[in-house]
Amino acid sequence: MRRLISISILLLAVLLVLPGVLSAVGGGYWFRVTTTIGVFSILTMSANLITGTTGLMSLGHAGFYGIGAYTTALLATKLHWPFFLTLPVAGVVTAVFGILLALPTMRLIGIYFAVATLGLGEIIHVTLLNWVDFTRGPMGISAIPGISLDGLFSASDITNYYAVAIIALLAALVLGRLTHSYYGNALRAVREDDQCAASMGLNVVGLKIQSFAFACFFAGVAGGLWAHTTGYISPGDFRFSESILILAMMVVGGLGSIPGAVLGAVILLGLPEVLRPIGDYRMIVVGAVMFFSILFLPRGLLGETSVLSVVRRQFGLAWDRTLNLGWRQ
Amino acid sequence: MFDVFFVQQLVNGLSIGLIYALMAIGFTLIFGVLNVVNFAHGEVYMIGAFAGLLAITQLAPPLFAVILVALAFGALAGFGLERIAFRPFRRFRDEASLKSKAIREATLLSSLAVSIIVRELAEKIFGSNMQSIPQEYLLLKPIEIGPLSFANGQFLIFGLSIVMLGGLQWLLKHTRVGLSIRAVANNPMGAAYVGINTERTIIATFVIGSTLGAIAGLIVGLYQGAIFPAMGFAPGVKAFVAMVMGGLSSIGGAVVCALILGMAEAITTSFFAQGWGDLVAYLFLVITLVFFPTGLFGGGRERV
Amino acid sequence: MTPLLEIKSACRYFGGLHAVEDFSGHVKRGERVGLIGPNGAGKTTLFNLITCFTPLSSGAVFFDDTDISSLKAYRVARLGIARTFQNLRVMPNLSVFDNVSIGALGALGHSPFAALTKRANYANDIGRRTWDALEQTGLQDQASELAANLSYGKRKYLEIARALALSPRLLILDEPAAGLNDTETAQLAEFVLRLSGEGLSILLVEHDMNFVMSLCERVMVMASGRKIADGSPQEVSNDPVVLEAYLGSEEEAA
Repeated sequence: MRRLISISILLLAVLLVLPGVLSAVGGGYWFRVTTTIGVFSILTMSANLITGTTGLMSLGHAGFYGIGAYTTALLATKLHWPFFLTLPVAGVVTAVFGILLALPTMRLIGIYFAVATLGLGEIIHVTLLNWVDFTRGPMGISAIPGISLDGLFSASDITNYYAVAIIALLAALVLGRLTHSYYGNALRAVREDDQCAASMGLNVVGLKIQSFAFACFFAGVAGGLWAHTTGYISPGDFRFSESILILAMMVVGGLGSIPGAVLGAVILLGLPEVLRPIGDYRMIVVGAVMFFSILFLPRGLLGETSVLSVVRRQFGLAWDRTLNLGWRQ
Repeated sequence: MFDVFFVQQLVNGLSIGLIYALMAIGFTLIFGVLNVVNFAHGEVYMIGAFAGLLAITQLAPPLFAVILVALAFGALAGFGLERIAFRPFRRFRDEASLKSKAIREATLLSSLAVSIIVRELAEKIFGSNMQSIPQEYLLLKPIEIGPLSFANGQFLIFGLSIVMLGGLQWLLKHTRVGLSIRAVANNPMGAAYVGINTERTIIATFVIGSTLGAIAGLIVGLYQGAIFPAMGFAPGVKAFVAMVMGGLSSIGGAVVCALILGMAEAITTSFFAQGWGDLVAYLFLVITLVFFPTGLFGGGRERV
Repeated sequence: MTPLLEIKSACRYFGGLHAVEDFSGHVKRGERVGLIGPNGAGKTTLFNLITCFTPLSSGAVFFDDTDISSLKAYRVARLGIARTFQNLRVMPNLSVFDNVSIGALGALGHSPFAALTKRANYANDIGRRTWDALEQTGLQDQASELAANLSYGKRKYLEIARALALSPRLLILDEPAAGLNDTETAQLAEFVLRLSGEGLSILLVEHDMNFVMSLCERVMVMASGRKIADGSPQEVSNDPVVLEAYLGSEEEAA
């Protein structure tokens, strides 16, 4: 029952209240800001699965996001595929690339993995930038068709909003189930002590690869959404600094926390928009917020919590820890 | 087989490699002492270049003085960096936490955050474009030797790097500071027990490493005629690659690998478009981590 | 019937160091075997070889007649060898319950698709196993506590609970009594005896001789990587070779 209430509050907020408020404050621009926040929420939630839950710090997430975006853009412009095909294909292609690229680095731990993913992310960026015949290089790909379905809805800011919102909710659902379940416990065991996890019968490499694959899938879908909603992508959108932005969102919101990921995206993308004078100093704000949250809030704003528990807590439905041991699936 | 073009490229690669080496030493020293990766090292390189540039545009002193200015600013930057991005996270003094995983990841993120802030501040102040450098300071005067043509900057790079590498060796082997650095790198607790001031040694390490980085930044800026806020990122990554390839805590290994990396890059760019040159470093990085996790020259290391 | 665990001339070299050399030994079904030896004798290395944490340099290890020498550590665990660690390796940021569920996950497998489709039976099985292991070790009241908040003694039981959740056939304990006081050690001995009564085979390393002598049916002694004695506690404690290994020979002592 509580579960049902929390879910309906969440859906109501995302699907009715938020778009209502956005159109009330003047639509267009704010819808685009919210769409960007939505895309980055998906990215941060997905990166969180690798970094927060499985404990592998990834500094190359923007690269995988770029693979998804370019896959979508090329499929949509060259082959004229509709969005309901490009998005899942982008996800799958990115996941496959993610696995292939990350397979050799799975043995690495800690900073070595972090730096290896930095290398992978930059390899992807350099390739996008220089493989001019395929990606059009620094010119980028423009005139990517928006999200539309003949006879039902056409490309507009509101369509974009709903597409991003629905996919973000789906991502939260899938990633939430992966994180807040016994499977999530297995991933956390890998994070806490991989050797010990192996001696308890967990297939550590398998778990790492699976979490990487799921994370890359959603990064790819987020890239696809970005391509469809903005209509133009260039390699500059998928640089190292974007990986850092994603990392900062995760750190601020709380590593391993799905609502934290969304909150991080809202803070780091929303604040500069709302507080205009800060807008110019966006990356400085990102750096400063990241620095101070590592220093003062090592667990981030929300720690390792699930979406529903945050909603529940807000409505005073305090939850008894002992009743919630184990995962009801 | 004597191909002038090829030799030329090798020499260019060697001079770039020496620059990477100067930066890699900074990384290696800091990694040796604290087992952390200093992501803001590239920004120290940039600060060195900008400090030199400011000195040039404001005072127009002789090149020697410009280098001294970069040196001073590099030392200052190293000191500040340690204070801001590393010291606050060393809350516990015992060895386990001094080199613990949590501290490594926290300082990885904090130095990353500081590097973003510094770079973006520089962009706000100076703009993100390349700065114009007065002609007479550019180290691009051609010097012909037989069929080969070098820039005077290359000689400066060779000379200065060799002086600094030699100086560093002397410092590490024959001075108190150098001995303390080596002691702390070996065993921080042991060093503390025999009366070495670990905190001061850590600061000294940052100062020395950053000085080398800042001078590298200045010379490269003048040699390539390119001084801009984001200039530190690529050399930073490459120096890191050299450190990993060299086996993380071996200065000699890092220098050799930096030279290999510089030459590999020069050769690649002579066969492919300029943009692919960066790919070499990243490929080296991933390949080294995957296939030679203890560095190209072996050497013990904890689990990667 | 062949023994449950059989080690056949296992060797492990680290560079020039012969950590374990030509070690043969076995553990029968339901047996309690102690492994003792001076510090640096290679006991923990031997454990790492049995659990395939460290690969063998040569030799072989058989578990229940299967050669496990070349298996991955997690496969060995799933076959039924569970271990605890010398320096406790509980996961401090997870609750006691979640810590123990790791063992159950190892035994029942972990699939992302089970989590996505919410397979209820699977979750119930893991939950039940975890509670069983918690009740066996008396940790059920602290189940929601963070592992970091447990006392040292309780953490030892937590490690054992996690190993038990794997439903192992052989339990390997690395210095279980280290750091415990006499009462706690006695309780632990009683607990291990009870586990053994339920049919679990036990192999343990321990420096507390009283603990080993009162608990184990058989004792193997290691020194400098080699097995120097193997027999009942009485036989071993009267063996001059063993005494020499522990106390040093006359000349060295002088």
